[in-house]
Order: sequence, then C-alpha cells, then structure tokens
Amino acid sequence: MEIQGLTVAYGGLVALRDVSITVGEGQFVTVVGPNGAGKSTLFKTISGSVPARGGDIRFFGESLLTMPVARRAHLGIAHVPEGRQVFKSLTVRENLEMGAYTEAGRKNWEASLKRIHMLFPILEERALQLAGTLSGGEQQMVAIGRGLASAPRLLMLDEPSMGLAPAITDLIFERISQIHREDGVTILLVEQRVAEALELSDHGYVLETGSVVMDGSYRTLMQDDRVRRAYLGIGEE
Amino acid sequence: MIDTTVLIENVLNALAAGITIGCIYGLMCVGLGLIFGIMKVVNFAQGELLMLGMYVVVYLFSVWGLLAFLGPYYGPFVAALAAGPVLFVGGSLLHKFLISRVSGLRTSGSLDEGHFGQLIITLGVSLILQNGGLIVFGSTPVGVRTPLSSRAWEFIPSEAWDVSVFFNKARTISAGVAIVVAILLYVLLEYTRLGKSLRAAADNPTAASYMGIDVEKAHRTAFGIGAGITAIAGGLIATYLSFTPFVGVDFVIIMYSGVVLGGMGSIMGAFWGGLTVGFVQQFSALVLPPQLQNAAIFVVFLMILLLRPQGLFGRSAERA
Ligand SMILES: Nc1ncnc2c1ncn2[C@@H]1O[C@H](COP(=O)(O)OP(=O)(O)OP(=O)(O)O)[C@@H](O)[C@H]1O
Ligand SMILES: [Mg+2]
Repeated sequence: MEIQGLTVAYGGLVALRDVSITVGEGQFVTVVGPNGAGKSTLFKTISGSVPARGGDIRFFGESLLTMPVARRAHLGIAHVPEGRQVFKSLTVRENLEMGAYTEAGRKNWEASLKRIHMLFPILEERALQLAGTLSGGEQQMVAIGRGLASAPRLLMLDEPSMGLAPAITDLIFERISQIHREDGVTILLVEQRVAEALELSDHGYVLETGSVVMDGSYRTLMQDDRVRRAYLGIGEE
Repeated sequence: MIDTTVLIENVLNALAAGITIGCIYGLMCVGLGLIFGIMKVVNFAQGELLMLGMYVVVYLFSVWGLLAFLGPYYGPFVAALAAGPVLFVGGSLLHKFLISRVSGLRTSGSLDEGHFGQLIITLGVSLILQNGGLIVFGSTPVGVRTPLSSRAWEFIPSEAWDVSVFFNKARTISAGVAIVVAILLYVLLEYTRLGKSLRAAADNPTAASYMGIDVEKAHRTAFGIGAGITAIAGGLIATYLSFTPFVGVDFVIIMYSGVVLGGMGSIMGAFWGGLTVGFVQQFSALVLPPQLQNAAIFVVFLMILLLRPQGLFGRSAERA
C-alpha cells in the first residue's frame, strides 16, 4: 500500500498534512506519535470513514479514495479500531462471523475460526457470550479476531494496548507478532507503547501534528536522540 | 353476588380474546421493536404504517378486488400478508429520503444520536399520512368483510359446567398468521447472515462499515422490514375491526408500551410485550369502562417497569 501526499481536514482543522507512507506486502509497519497527531485519522482515511482532501492511497495498485467505504473491506483491508468497537449486543461468535462478511472471509471461515481460537482460546470458551459483557482485554481479542476473520491482506491495528494491564498487553503484542510471522499478514500498527511496537516492526514512522517527521528501521529510530527523549524517556536531562 | 359460572365464563373469554388479540399486538410490536428497539430510531409514524397496511387490505380485497378471487375466507389474510411487501417498499423509501438524514452513520456519535431530528420528522410524516389518508380514503369507517369475523369456534372446557369459551375465527386465524410471521422474522434476524449484518449495522454503524457491510442499505432494509411487519399486523387487524385514517393514534401507544415492556432490543421481548398489552386490555374490559382501557395499559406498564426497568425480557449487553 502506498500513501502519497495525503491531506485530511475536519472542517478547518488540518489533521494530516502531506503524509506519505509505504507499507510493503508482508511488512510490519508501525506509526507512533503523541495524542492528537492524526494516527487514528490516518486509519480512518484508509478504511474510508473520513474523506481525504488531497493526495492518494493505492492498495495493490487500486486507488482507494474514490471507493465507497463498504467496498474497501472486500479488498482485504481490516481495520481494528481504537477503543475496540466490538458489536456489544452480538455474541462473540457473531462478532467473528461479521468479520468474515467479505467473500474472502467466508471462503476461509473454517480455517480462520480455528486459527483465531488457537491464538485466543478464551474466545472459544466465550463463544455464546455477548461481546459487551466481556472484559476490556477480551474485547480487544474479539476486535483482533474479527479483523483476522476477514482473511485480510492488510491488518490495521489502532492502539490495541489501550487501557490494558501490562500482562495482557504483552500477550496481545505476542499474538500480533505471531499473526505477522506465522500467517504472513501485512500489519500496520499504531501504538503508544513505542519501544515494544517498534521492536516488532520492519519500519516505523513518527507522526507529529499531522506530519511525518521521521521514519526508518527499528535500529535507526532507536538510535535517534529525539525519539529516545520524546518517546522512550531516555537520554540526557 | 355475581354468579360464579358467569364470572368464570367471562374470565375465560377474556383470556381467549387476550391471547388472540395479544398475538396480533405482538406482531405489531415486533415491527416497532426492530425499528425502535434494535435500530434505535424513534418513529412516531409507526401507527400510520399500520393504518396503511389496513388500507392495503381494503383496497386489494374490497375496493379494487384484486384478491377477491381468493374468496372471503382466504382473501383478506393473503391481502394482509401482501401489505408486508407493499409497506416494505414504502418504508424503505421513507427511510431513504427522510429518516436516513437523521439516523445511522450520519448521526452516530452525535450528542442525541439523531433522536430529535427523528422525532420531528416522523411526527410530521405521521400528520401528513393521517390527513393525506383523510383526503384519499375519506373519513367513513371501513373494514374488510369476511364471514369469519362474525363466527367463532366454541370450546367447552368441562361438561360439568355450563361454560363455553368463544374463539373468534378471524382473530384466531390472524393470531396464527401473526405467530408464524414473528417466528420467521426471529429466525431471519437471529440465524441468517443478512439478519446478523442488520443487527451489527444497528449496534455499531462505524465498525459495521469496516466489516464491509453497506450500512445505509442495512438500515434501510431493517426499517423497511419493520414497516412491513407492522403493516401485516395492521392488515390482520383489518379483518375484524373497522377503522378510519386516524386509527394509528390508538395503536402507536400500544406499540411503544409493548416494545418497552418487553425490553428494548429483543424481538421476542417485543412480542411478549404486545401479548401482555393485549391481555391487560381484554381483562380490564371486564371491570373498566372502555374509555379507561388504555389507562389500564399504562398503569400495568408503569408497575412492570417499576419492578423491572429493563423490561420483561430485556438483557443488558453492557458490563454492569
Ligand atoms: N471528528 C472529528 N472532528 C473534528 N476534529 C477531529 C475529529 N476527529 C479527530 N479530530 C482532530 O484531529 C486531530 C487528530 O486526531 P486523531 O484522533 O487522528 O489523533 P490520534 O493521533 O489518533 O490521537 P490519540 O493518540 O489520542 O488517539 C486531533 O486534533 C483531533 O482533535
Ligand atoms: Mg487515536
């Protein structure tokens, strides 16, 4: 997927300015940045719930910006939104079935379900429970499982660690890494847990007030003084 | 002293009428339950959708006589079922051009979730349909003539007593049709891909669009189905009751009571809610003058909600 010169605004407020990001097939790319930088906006523009003002997003050669929202999931884009957004009044199993709403998802349903249950066994135990009654961590697992159920070509995860205890966060990160390594799914991740996220990824972007201020591999970014000071809390006083 | 036999007979007949009328009310409530309980759209024009369903039966069967060839026994019930697709189309159009502007993705996340807009728009639609109905259909009460509405099955519980219970034929058949239609809708919503996608689109429109669900279309379809279901119930009522274009006003109260009573968000609950209202109405007829019957519905309504604020069959999907 290539994003070129993307500009997005809410009324007069410019949330993204001339952003260019490339995610190669099979890659693990992370976007970090402070609150309000425009990370969620970036995801929403890719999945289509927010319109772009300028620039272009190409997914396997096809331009996304003119495509209706509901079509984009069918291309293989799975958006696991910030704050989980599970279907609260549907059961865990029904949530996963909705993930498999796309044709690819339906074709691979049996295999995906097995895989999801392998990654998150609790979802099999709780299959008939209403998703709204699950704990935050379990809801995050449903949200990720729901994304996986679509058999995606690109899995976008917006702050999966939000509001979770460290132990659960570690588990979630481990599973995301597994999905990338073992299933070969292309991953685009937004995270506040910068060190852990960057460690998993092939490439990282730093987004600040709507613009990409830096990008590079894990090593390049970790060696950069500004990144160390701003996001990792290490460096000279 | 009231004669006990007469009392028993009256109670049993109220029970019979309560069950049959209650099932028809149940179906009517299921239609609103889908629109209000599940889609969370406030629709004050639901009574008028019911009214239109009733007139569809009158026109298909009596005025134009398109279905008259089916005879006075089957004809009216087939016409009532036909009111479903007619109002499905009508409801979908109403949603497409008006309701969708104040509901769904457009208002999801806004402060009132579009409820103020829905209230005003549907009240307006309700007035337009009532008065438009007056112009088109006239103010003379009409009804569908089926010989069944003046016949009854007699049921004698015990040879020992001199008690007989009457099941009005038109109402009993209507109740049967209502149960079947309600079950079909339940199966559609609970177990089919389409039904689940409609519930998902209602639950979280934004997330549903990420799944590849066409949320606008899902909402339109759900609204159309809700309109069609209530219209079928109206068509069934038309087989035993005569009515004018203002008939919706009485029924919209019953529908909202039933849906809230049964518990928002549950189709089964809406049906039981409607059934409860039917019972209360028929039993109150034993002791209260007709003017007070709707008041009795509300007294029971308030009492039940005092004891069970989530409704009889409501379940909470949120963590406590
Ligand atoms: N619907 C909206 N209407 C107006 N402004 C918005 C809207 N959504 C986001 N914004 C603004 O756009 C900017 C970027 O928001 P965004 O949610 O993309 O940030 P973020 O990087 O995801 O932040 P966080 O880390 O807190 O999730 C913020 O200044 C925000 O106030
Ligand atoms: Mg965000």
